[in-house]
Amino acid sequence: MASIGQIVPQTPGGEVLARARQRAALVPDCMVEARRIANTVIAGWHGRRKRGIGENFWQFRPYTEGESLARIDWRRSARDDNTYVRDREWQAAHTVWLWADLSPSMMYKSTLGSVSKESRALVLMLALAEILARSGERIGCPGVMEPVSARNAAERLAAAIMHAPQTEGMPDTAMIRGSSDIVLIGDFLDDADRIMERIAPLARRNLRGHVVEVADPAEETFPFTGRTEFTDPETGEKLMSGRAETLREDYQRAYLARRESLGQSLRRLGWSFAFHRTDHLASEALGAVYGYLSGNPSGMAGARP
Amino acid sequence: MSAFAFASPAILIALIALPAIWWLLRLTPPRPKSEVFPPLAILATVLKRQETPANSPWWLTLLRILMAAALIFAIADPVMNPRIGSLSSGGPLVLVVDNSWAAAKDWQRRVETADMLIDDAQQADLPVSIVFTADATHDAVPGTAAAAREKLAAARPQPLVPQRARTAQALTEAFNGLRPGTVAFLTDGVAAAEDQEMMADLASLSPADLRLIEGDGDGALALTQATNNATSMSVTASRLNRAAGQSFTVNALDQRGRTLASAPLSFAVGSGTASAEISAPFELRNDFARLSIEGHATAGAAHLLDDGFKRRRVALLSGDSGNEMQPLLLPLYYISRALQPYADIIQPRGSDLSTSLPDVLANNPSAIIMADIGRLPADTYEPLQRWIARGGMLIRFAGSRLAAAPTDDPLVPVILRRGERALGGALSWAEPQPLADFPPFGPFAGMPHAESVLVKRQVLAEPTPDLAERTWASLADGTPLVTTREVEAGRIVLFHVSAEATWSDLPLSGDFVEMLRRLVQLARASGAQTTSLAGAAAVALPPYRLLTADGVLTTETGPAKPITPAPGQVPVASPDHPPGLYGSEDGFTAVNLLPPGTELNPIDTNIAGLSVTRQGLIGREAVSLRPALFTIALLLLLVDSLVVLFMNGGFSRLSRAGRSAAAILLLALSPFALSLSDARAQDAKPGDEQALERLDVTHLAYVITGEADVDRISEQGLEGLSQFLSYRTTLEPGTPVGLDISKDELAFYPIIYWPISSTAPMPTAAAISRIDTYMRSGGTVLFDTRDQISTLDGVGALSANSQRLQEILANVDIPPLEPTPTDHVLARSFYLLTSFPGRYSGSPLWVEARQDARNSESELSSSGDGVTPLLITGNDFAGAWAIDGNGNSVLPTVPPDDMQREYAYRAGVNIMMYMLTGNYKADQVHVPALLERLGQ
Repeated sequence: MASIGQIVPQTPGGEVLARARQRAALVPDCMVEARRIANTVIAGWHGRRKRGIGENFWQFRPYTEGESLARIDWRRSARDDNTYVRDREWQAAHTVWLWADLSPSMMYKSTLGSVSKESRALVLMLALAEILARSGERIGCPGVMEPVSARNAAERLAAAIMHAPQTEGMPDTAMIRGSSDIVLIGDFLDDADRIMERIAPLARRNLRGHVVEVADPAEETFPFTGRTEFTDPETGEKLMSGRAETLREDYQRAYLARRESLGQSLRRLGWSFAFHRTDHLASEALGAVYGYLSGNPSGMAGARP
Repeated sequence: MSAFAFASPAILIALIALPAIWWLLRLTPPRPKSEVFPPLAILATVLKRQETPANSPWWLTLLRILMAAALIFAIADPVMNPRIGSLSSGGPLVLVVDNSWAAAKDWQRRVETADMLIDDAQQADLPVSIVFTADATHDAVPGTAAAAREKLAAARPQPLVPQRARTAQALTEAFNGLRPGTVAFLTDGVAAAEDQEMMADLASLSPADLRLIEGDGDGALALTQATNNATSMSVTASRLNRAAGQSFTVNALDQRGRTLASAPLSFAVGSGTASAEISAPFELRNDFARLSIEGHATAGAAHLLDDGFKRRRVALLSGDSGNEMQPLLLPLYYISRALQPYADIIQPRGSDLSTSLPDVLANNPSAIIMADIGRLPADTYEPLQRWIARGGMLIRFAGSRLAAAPTDDPLVPVILRRGERALGGALSWAEPQPLADFPPFGPFAGMPHAESVLVKRQVLAEPTPDLAERTWASLADGTPLVTTREVEAGRIVLFHVSAEATWSDLPLSGDFVEMLRRLVQLARASGAQTTSLAGAAAVALPPYRLLTADGVLTTETGPAKPITPAPGQVPVASPDHPPGLYGSEDGFTAVNLLPPGTELNPIDTNIAGLSVTRQGLIGREAVSLRPALFTIALLLLLVDSLVVLFMNGGFSRLSRAGRSAAAILLLALSPFALSLSDARAQDAKPGDEQALERLDVTHLAYVITGEADVDRISEQGLEGLSQFLSYRTTLEPGTPVGLDISKDELAFYPIIYWPISSTAPMPTAAAISRIDTYMRSGGTVLFDTRDQISTLDGVGALSANSQRLQEILANVDIPPLEPTPTDHVLARSFYLLTSFPGRYSGSPLWVEARQDARNSESELSSSGDGVTPLLITGNDFAGAWAIDGNGNSVLPTVPPDDMQREYAYRAGVNIMMYMLTGNYKADQVHVPALLERLGQ
């Protein structure tokens, strides 16, 4: 019997990029919710639908005491007895760090899934980059690429990844400065506590995180039967199970418990957590992340808690 | 004996391939499905047992290697103890073969072994001398191999003990200084008396090579002794192989070879003898003809029994009923104590000889012992003499009564002088006399001199010419003590002293026991019959059935010679007298192979200066291990399959399938279970309900005659009586029941009313038989001919109904009848009545004549507690009792008289009370007298 799962080669950047573009085209522009706009905020061209520093007219409002007289729009004030101030729309750009786990375990693809986890993770990442770049956000990849604000950020990200060394389970966060958003895409198969050990320092640094767990359906449903030898693609460790089907229930319980525990820990940090199976459409996960990023989690259909 | 070789050792080269097989097995299946699985860490937490599945487990591989090795070895065909050939070429081959009983079990292998040696000799062109130790003649002259082979083929195991010394002697004579090459001694392993001499003789032949070829000796198991005890037969057995504890079954067979009883025989570890107790009633034990050990068909393991083994049945009679409190003064006390271990004793119940003697004779005892009986009742002489003439043995003891008896007693062997002789005492010169030596004839021959016996009184025999030869024991002065006379087939023996210790010390001595035992042994076991063998001690007995070496009795007597059994000696088997039964069908003596008390010992062949090569028989040792190895390989294969199945999870699927199969099986079986429980509930038979209903309440019953009006009146009449009973008595009967006497159960009813109608169909014989049974078992039938009115005119003539009643009762065993007497219980069981009228008055009520009146012993009445089994009347009770639905009388009485109807009811009540209480009411009469006696 042919084995259910296999390790596939790394997906070429170009192909992923093309698929990411297709996905991204389905999603409207994403404005990252700017709740904490500290010094990472630099002027951008994208209106925030609120008054602030910008170029475009936003509204006239009555002058209040203590404001700079220079801000009074006299032309408008001359029309009646009140004094008006011309407000401009706030235009700001946000830094979003995107990171996908490209470890060997992500190269896994089972017969039940349509693509490998790595491929799906890259597509999600690049699609996000495309969407965010379209919105003028600054896109970075921790340990791979400094944040850039460019229309072609997705291409640049793809190119950077192609040349980047293989990463481990968690991103190298040395590049991240100040508060920003970070999107982590991976399988997070490690123990929840170990993952939280790595993530908790990020949260303390005022990073707002979004974690997307990409899983192969075989990992979740455990469709194996009979005498089966399991191999860990990362460590090469092997496990023999005489009757795999007897393990199914226990395994599923442990697997889901891990996910549950991870999700709860992340939510306690204020991070969002979404999981995605490779037999589902990438758009679902994309929509979910989009919702979280735009501060409107229920805004997109297909998002899961 | 531990030789080991391969038939085709070249195959063993294949063992080199084992490491390759090992390597292959390590790599080839069972390979598990290999799965890449990233969440292995999670899986690891739930997987309890971690295997290292890179290879199949080492023990599985080992299992398969063993399997392969077993196969290779099996193909190489290992053989245990292959035959070692090569005879010494110095001279002729000498084969000494034990063809005794112990060799019978593996005789074929012995023949094969000998044959092989002869083959070798033939190839080496050596002459062969072959001798058989158990044969009568020993022809030891060396001959050609072909001649030896012929002799070997003709030889059979004999049911005899080997005569090894004679054989060796014959060899020595035949060789006469010639030096044999190889001497092979195929021994049965059992030591015989002259083994040392034989070995010495063999050694003196100075052969180049002396080989001792032994079997396993397991067959050497023998029954050596059988004794008939009071409650069981004890069998002693001996065996050669004493190493392990062994258990056998000893069977006791009758003449036709049927097993009558068996007992376990267990040899303890290291013990050469064991005994078994066959418990059986002595009648059954008397039928034992042969004892054998199950699964050991040799002459040694068979023990023949003859008449001598049967326990005698001895009847004891005494003229003196005596005082039970002083048993030591009773003559029978000593006799019974002496005989108890050897014989079964019959003691008649009563002391009245006229009744007890026929009782005893009816038992047909082997012997009757009469202690001090002077005269028998006159009518008992004739049957007693007939019994003696047919082979019975009468043993009498003297005593004061016998001494006083007239001298013409026919049951005394010699003519006695009147009175007794006293030895010693105040007025006698004579001293108490000791016994003389027992004469060399008679049953006491060979007994040691009885030393401590002194005879003080005795009865004396009249001298006759033949007195001396009829005397079996005498006193020191020559007066006879025990005399005998043959009466046709039987025998009368007289002890001239009494059986208790007043006349002599004889009853106190051990000789008394032995003398009685021998005398009783002399008696025919089967009591009186037509001919007697036991008495004819000196007759030569021809062989009747002989035992073969396989322990089977055969009619081929061959060259066996008759035996002349000496009394008190157990005949010993010899080549002239092989074991078997000697005599004829009527009586025989058994000759057994081994004398009693024999113990089997292993043969001792160690003799100084003689080197002996020990060797096994071929047949047994040349055992191919191939089947065993193949079996091992097959078993390993099975184990391997199971293991592989288990590893691949086959059993989990199996268990799932098993569960569903069990469910299906359960479903399929559930109807059976249900039906089973139903079946248990339905042990009720149809009609039980009705029967229970009938039993709950007493019902009056009538016989359905088949005529509607008669049956209607019967029912109405019984209904009327039932109501009357309910009003007046505590008896509340149920509704009357009409009975079809040919098939309904009658036992439920205390009384059955049977109106006789001549026009109704005659009941069948079977139905009448049922009525008869009913009456016998305590029921009562009230026959009512209803003809009182019709017989009024013609008194002499029987009415048609009466004739019918006579026909019905013609084949019934009815007791004598009488009209109810005035003091009969019927007349006062409830009401005091003088007559029993019905519709008519005048006909008497006939009942069974009472026993005290007629002194008859009717079976019917005794079973019914004195209640008459039938009542006959002509008064038409039912007609008087009959009421309709409104309680009005249906028929008028004749003459119309309400008092007569009242009396008819009262008669019915009395009858019912009589039926239900029996003679209890009669006993009531005595209540005042009883109370008075009690002082109330």
